[in-house]
Amino acid sequence: MSNDMKNIWNILFLEERASIGLSFFRIFVALTVGLHVIPSFFHLDDNYLSTAFKTFNTDFFPQSFIDWVQKSPDALVVFFVWAFYVTWFCFLIGFFSQISCILMTACCYYFYALNCFHIGTLSWDILLVTLFLMCITSYHGDYFSIDALRRGDIEAWRHPRPFFIQRLLQLQTASTFFFTGLYKITGEGNWITGNPIYYLMNYPSEGVTKHFLLKEWMAVHPHFCYISGLMIVATELSMSFWLFNPKTRRAAIILGLCWHILLVLTLDVPTIFLFLFPAQMMLFIHPQKIIDWIEAKRLINSQSPRAKIIYDGECGFCRSSVRAVQVMDLWGKIDYIAGPKDMSEMCLCLPDGKTYGGFFAFRRIAWICPMLYPLIPIVYFPGSGMLGPLVYRWVARNRYLFPVFHSCAAGKCHL
Amino acid sequence: MNIQLRNKLISIFVIIWLAIFYYESTCVYYLEPLFKRELPRMKFLFPPAGWIMFYNIGDNFGYTEVYGVKDGNPQLIDPHQILRTRAIGYDNINRNALITVTSPGMSDSFCPFLKRRFPYFDKFLVTYVEYPQLIEQPLERTQTVVYECNE
Repeated sequence: MSNDMKNIWNILFLEERASIGLSFFRIFVALTVGLHVIPSFFHLDDNYLSTAFKTFNTDFFPQSFIDWVQKSPDALVVFFVWAFYVTWFCFLIGFFSQISCILMTACCYYFYALNCFHIGTLSWDILLVTLFLMCITSYHGDYFSIDALRRGDIEAWRHPRPFFIQRLLQLQTASTFFFTGLYKITGEGNWITGNPIYYLMNYPSEGVTKHFLLKEWMAVHPHFCYISGLMIVATELSMSFWLFNPKTRRAAIILGLCWHILLVLTLDVPTIFLFLFPAQMMLFIHPQKIIDWIEAKRLINSQSPRAKIIYDGECGFCRSSVRAVQVMDLWGKIDYIAGPKDMSEMCLCLPDGKTYGGFFAFRRIAWICPMLYPLIPIVYFPGSGMLGPLVYRWVARNRYLFPVFHSCAAGKCHL
Repeated sequence: MNIQLRNKLISIFVIIWLAIFYYESTCVYYLEPLFKRELPRMKFLFPPAGWIMFYNIGDNFGYTEVYGVKDGNPQLIDPHQILRTRAIGYDNINRNALITVTSPGMSDSFCPFLKRRFPYFDKFLVTYVEYPQLIEQPLERTQTVVYECNE
């Protein structure tokens, strides 16, 4: 019995599984935090400086902490704004992922205590719980991150880690659904004794309900609204079981995604509902399935003609740059060939015979490596076709002066 | 780190986390009524009242309207001019963020804010608008002045 319990505990929390899902989740958490907090910085005088109108969440923070934060001079507030921008961006790109997560979370707490009027919502509290769990480990920086490039581990996408953080995040998501449903039908909840959807449909235009196609029809069909309400509660109560059951998981994830899209389309709820919660659903996908999917794609690509990067094999900076491309080449679509020392620029040869050099090779690589997708709008921005080659040529001319990641120094980097 | 030690630390963290998580999730509406007393709460981390999204929606609706008064004439101020911060993807005014200003004690901080934002006006009226019965009497609308902001 004890061994069985140990095994179950191991499977639930301690077993090592690939952390790529968590790395992907990090990006969504960062986007959610940014989209929620950054708009409040556009009117610092209204929101956080001494001229602001402030409200405080004394249930969440001890009064002494709020009093302490309120003593902040305006200069300190501005300092925290910049600290937030820097740490948030580092967290987004996974640069010292854990430290940036901790510092960004500290900034979030600071602004929440300073004034909860704009950012304080129930979904924000949920986001803080998620952030706290993300602060515990650095696993979310394993892939889709600058940290992965710094380490130069080309197998970073399959890096195994104890599963407990992802499991706790799963439990948080499932429990949020369950308790949200439970509170609706017990205690002060009125989804059985009343008809909340019907009331929402009859709210005046100043209310939380958005205008959508069926609103007016639903506003005169109370029975439909009541049945819909019961179905919502039933779904919320059973969602956790569907999510944890492998047979119903896929349907539950799709339902959860549709659920939150519907919520955002019909009600004025914080965007956290659209960015964080659907990403939380994706955490239920078994990491091994993601790895199997990636490996299948890599296998297909390994048996097909691949693109070739030819680079200066004598230059440490070039080797470490190519190593970085290798880390980012998730689908295994590129071969790497060390060329002669006197190469003026790297060269990319595609299987269809097309050849690109220098900046234009880099621009084409951005379409091949998923981690470079965010750079596509930048490298194709009007004017980048003129500026990019100039920058590239300058870097290429000075490539022997640039620092080299440790793993590629002194010719130790095996590609 | 030694794997056994790492696993022990993880297990301890998971047990403590789960205990606090479910305690905090059920405290206000289940545990406190059960024990018939106020229970200790953990600050800084969990939603104070639990996961109560949209748990109770009544057939009444109230919101705040703020009027600026100039030469004795009241003029409705666009709430988006009061709360200028635009949230991405939703409208904080429709989410009724401004209702907070009608809470007791809010006039001390809200009145100076209004005077700074709208120096044109002589004084302000903060009112609470209510539709007491949306279903039975959808057109019935009451409006009361919660407080005035004078010089």
